[in-house]
Amino acid sequence: MAERDIIHNYLKSLSKYLSRLDKADADDVIREIESHIYDVLEASESEGRSFDAAAVLAGFGEPRELAAQYVDHMLDGTPPPEGFKAIQRVKRGATKGLYYAMEIFGYGLSLILMIVGVYKAFSPDDVGVWASASGESIIVGVSSQPPGHTDELLGWWLVPIAFGLAFGGAYLTKRILGVLKERL
Amino acid sequence: MNQQEKLEAKWDVQLRKGSLELVILAALKERRLYGLELLGLLHRFETMQITEGTLYPLMDRLKRDGVVEASWHQEGQSKPRKYYQLTPLGEAKLTDLTSRWRKSVEDIEFLLCNPGPKIISPRGE
Repeated sequence: MAERDIIHNYLKSLSKYLSRLDKADADDVIREIESHIYDVLEASESEGRSFDAAAVLAGFGEPRELAAQYVDHMLDGTPPPEGFKAIQRVKRGATKGLYYAMEIFGYGLSLILMIVGVYKAFSPDDVGVWASASGESIIVGVSSQPPGHTDELLGWWLVPIAFGLAFGGAYLTKRILGVLKERL
Repeated sequence: MNQQEKLEAKWDVQLRKGSLELVILAALKERRLYGLELLGLLHRFETMQITEGTLYPLMDRLKRDGVVEASWHQEGQSKPRKYYQLTPLGEAKLTDLTSRWRKSVEDIEFLLCNPGPKIISPRGE
């Protein structure tokens, strides 16, 4: 690809990533960078050196990253669009709801699993995981009368599995709540 | 790049992060320069090897902060170029940052020149 095509494509790509800015601001950025590149090109030609467009453009970095640096500080301090505060309020409210729902669900499920594990240890015949003979359904629970025509699947293994899942679930819930709390 | 060079390069990057604004303001003191000229000036110094991708967005931010002003000029047969110079606010900021820089260097020098084990106090305190 000719050097000028490489430059043209770079500037076109940069222009695309600067589209969030005012057109005048974006055009000024493009014009300055274009001016720099052609200054380097002219200096190379007048000194009889070969011009490597890719090397010059490497100094500017990827168009997306370069544009992001301009966009970040240019839009910093710009007043939020109308209705933005209401959106933020709704977003915070939704996060709060999700936080408490996750807390109840995650810790509640862990607690139930722990109770199942403890119950199984003390009353092994009443607690278990049963599968119907036809394999169409699985029943997990506490029952004084084991469901008819079913086989118990886990036996004593239910105790460590229930505890493992309970601790795993509680840990996962704690991590998720930690992430959600930052957004409250 | 050997270990020593790596350490030096890492140190230069860390130091530049905090001092680059001062470097730019100092480079523009009583000078009006366009981007390539400014970059060329900085590249004459071993510890100021910044890239185009660092310089231009920073110049734009400094312009928005009101410490430098930029204007397009055409000199002779050359293409128009965007020249930067300090504003009065930039000159005042350069004076403030210069005194803080010198104070930091003085404090570091004092620590370097006064090794332990005795606990020392800065001069005049």
